[in-house]
Amino acid sequence: MNIDNTASQMRKGVLEFCILSVIKQGEAYPSDIIDKMKSANFNLLEGTLYPLLTRLKNAEFLTYRWVESNSGPPRKYFSLTERGAAFYKELEATWNELANAVKAVTDIDANNSNNNNFNNNP
Amino acid sequence: MKQVININFQGRVVPIETSAFEILKAYTESLNQHFANEEGKEEIINDIESRIGELFQERITKGATCITDDDINAIITSIGRPEDFEPMDDAQPASSSSSSSSNQQQQAGSNFTTGHKRLYRDENNKVIGGVCAGLANYFNVDIVVVRIIFIILIFSFGFGILPYIIMWVAVPSTSSTQLGGTKKKLFRDTDDKMIAGVCSGIGNYFGINPWIPRVLFLLPFLSYFSRWGHWGGFWNFGDVVRFTFSPTSLIVYIILWIVIPEALTTSEKLEMKGEKVDMNSIKNSVMEEMKGVGKKAEKFGKEASGFINEKAKAVSGDMQNFSRRSRGGLGNVIAMFAKIFAYFIIGCVCFGLVMGLFGLGIFSIGVFPLKDYILKGEWQNFYAWGTLVLFIAVPIIGIITWLIRKIAKMKNNSRILRLTFGSLWTLGWVCIIMLIATVTQDFKSSSRLDDQSIALSNPKVNKLVVTSSSPFTKKYYARNWVRFEPFENLLDDDTAYVRNVYVEIERSQNDSFQVTMKKMSRGHDRKDANNLASLIKFNAVQSDSILLLDKGIAINKVDKFRNQLVVITVYVPLGKQIRVNSGIDNGHVHFGARNWGNDWDNDYYDGEQDMKWQHDVDYVMKEDGLYTLTGRKADGWNDKEETYQNNKKKKNGSYRYDRIQDSIERKIDSIENRKQQKKDSIERKAEYLKDSIDRRNEAEKNKIENGTGLIIKPEQEAVASVIMPGVDILTNI
Repeated sequence: MNIDNTASQMRKGVLEFCILSVIKQGEAYPSDIIDKMKSANFNLLEGTLYPLLTRLKNAEFLTYRWVESNSGPPRKYFSLTERGAAFYKELEATWNELANAVKAVTDIDANNSNNNNFNNNP
Repeated sequence: MKQVININFQGRVVPIETSAFEILKAYTESLNQHFANEEGKEEIINDIESRIGELFQERITKGATCITDDDINAIITSIGRPEDFEPMDDAQPASSSSSSSSNQQQQAGSNFTTGHKRLYRDENNKVIGGVCAGLANYFNVDIVVVRIIFIILIFSFGFGILPYIIMWVAVPSTSSTQLGGTKKKLFRDTDDKMIAGVCSGIGNYFGINPWIPRVLFLLPFLSYFSRWGHWGGFWNFGDVVRFTFSPTSLIVYIILWIVIPEALTTSEKLEMKGEKVDMNSIKNSVMEEMKGVGKKAEKFGKEASGFINEKAKAVSGDMQNFSRRSRGGLGNVIAMFAKIFAYFIIGCVCFGLVMGLFGLGIFSIGVFPLKDYILKGEWQNFYAWGTLVLFIAVPIIGIITWLIRKIAKMKNNSRILRLTFGSLWTLGWVCIIMLIATVTQDFKSSSRLDDQSIALSNPKVNKLVVTSSSPFTKKYYARNWVRFEPFENLLDDDTAYVRNVYVEIERSQNDSFQVTMKKMSRGHDRKDANNLASLIKFNAVQSDSILLLDKGIAINKVDKFRNQLVVITVYVPLGKQIRVNSGIDNGHVHFGARNWGNDWDNDYYDGEQDMKWQHDVDYVMKEDGLYTLTGRKADGWNDKEETYQNNKKKKNGSYRYDRIQDSIERKIDSIENRKQQKKDSIERKAEYLKDSIDRRNEAEKNKIENGTGLIIKPEQEAVASVIMPGVDILTNI
């Protein structure tokens, strides 16, 4: 068992959700998405992002349009489709459920130890 | 200073350093492979390349003149390497599992990709090419042990170097599962196999026609076979080397067969036939690694000596403990030394046995061409084959297999194996015994034929020189091998010439030279032997003072070799000279008659003291035997010395030129003869011409006197003498 593995598994789980939520906030191109994730302290590699975006697009959760740019080749700007929005809602619900559950379990633990401490103090 | 090239990247022209371009190419390659089975992979890759293009533009607009190595590396770092990409779902190609914890993978030598252990070269634990490290990994043996084995192989047989190089090139390195490596794996291609698909697999890996490695493997065998027709040169060192190369290639093939996995699943087959391996990159990496070898060798030396020191300390520590613990410490230590010594001796003996068997195998294969001249019938052939395969090949294969099993730590089903090999070898013993028995049967009886006398064209010459049409003047090593003297022969298609000729010199009863020939042979009974003896074809022809013998007894495959023998006895009259040239006979000759009984073949190995005369020396026959020209009794040993001394005094030449001088003298003699003959014939012709001229002149004179005034030639004269009277008669009518 190793922390890198587990951490990677955790990230894998929430990645789609995070990306979709960024796109939900507004049309974005991949570089943009990376920057936003970075500012939220979620370090994401472009090589991870691009395949994911393509998959989501193939599943018709995302759509894109080409925008010409002066400083470089044209860019793809992604936005959520209706199906994407619905999918996002489900993801959100799942995430909330999960987060609450985890919180509850870890809080019980904290509560228990607090209780113990409390008990130990005369 | 670096070369810069322009590339068309995403629709724009980008100046980039060549080395940076190489890195970029490798990166896009690795992306290609990473997303090989991904749906929409072109799109993904295109996106990534767009991003790279964007970053290029950024740098250029910031004022860089071209994209450098650092730029590329920075870009790659920011986008990430394929193994760092996080897998999204389970429908991922197998290669993505290599992305997890790549560091651990590198150290472990990349055995995880498809859950089936594959042979790689471990580039991270390498000294030269990581071959031993990979092997150690694959066989689960400690790496230092593998290296020691390799070094022992190289130093004792010179044999380890070639397989090492082959494996270095052919076995993929661990870096092939990381960035920039080509994903091609070396498999055996069993769909396209001749024996085991080794050559097809190699062909696929290198992108060459599989027949090229096949020819390479077979080449040593072919070159060996082509030498069978000239096996007289067998003892030539070059041929022995060439012969020993072919088992090496066979062993290499077998090793590759064992070690390279078969391409079973479709994905493996695809991997096997993947993209071309870039020979350029291999060359570059080889050159780089060579530079690091020196340092690595040092390190390894230290490692190895450290290892040995450790072990030695352990052993000596053990021994000390041992001796301390026991009372009669010294006695026990001696016992242990004795045990070690005994093991060592046993090891040497076994080794010697194996080498002996191997040598016997090589020898019997070498003698193979002669098989048909000796063996007759189905059974003998069968026994010969049985001996070769069962008696000789089986223990060799058995020992090699045992060694391989030991090294690979395979499960030891030793009972079954031992039983199988043991029984096969016993069968081999049976075969060899039967072979010897049946062959000796055929040589059992000897013949008994009368002497045959050779007609001499000119028995009254003064000197006879005995020579042969193509004398053997080379010294073969086999001269010392008693049994194989008759085997010095020439192979001419399917006859062999056996130089089983003996020359004897005796005094003649009258004043002519006389030559008789005794033909002898062995056979499985007296009649057979006599028959074979009478079939011997051997000629002796005299021309002037040379007695020309055949170069050997012709043996063909119908009348087999049965130690046929010819004895030429030359009777020399008193006062005449004789000389026997070297290279025509077997060298052991006696002066004086011998009893040619059944055991004639034993007489000839009595030793040199029986040689009463030497080759290439002139002798003259006197009342009581042969004398050299200087008046000494023929004495075998010293005659050559004497001639040598004489020649030295005469011409100050060296011994080596003695023979050449003799042949020159001979040639001079024959030239003189011919000159004389020519002179004679010219004289005769001249006489004839003179005569005819004289006659013509006379005739002319007569004609002039007679008044016809015609000048008539002698032939015409003859005709005229017929016509003229006719004319006369006619005109007188």
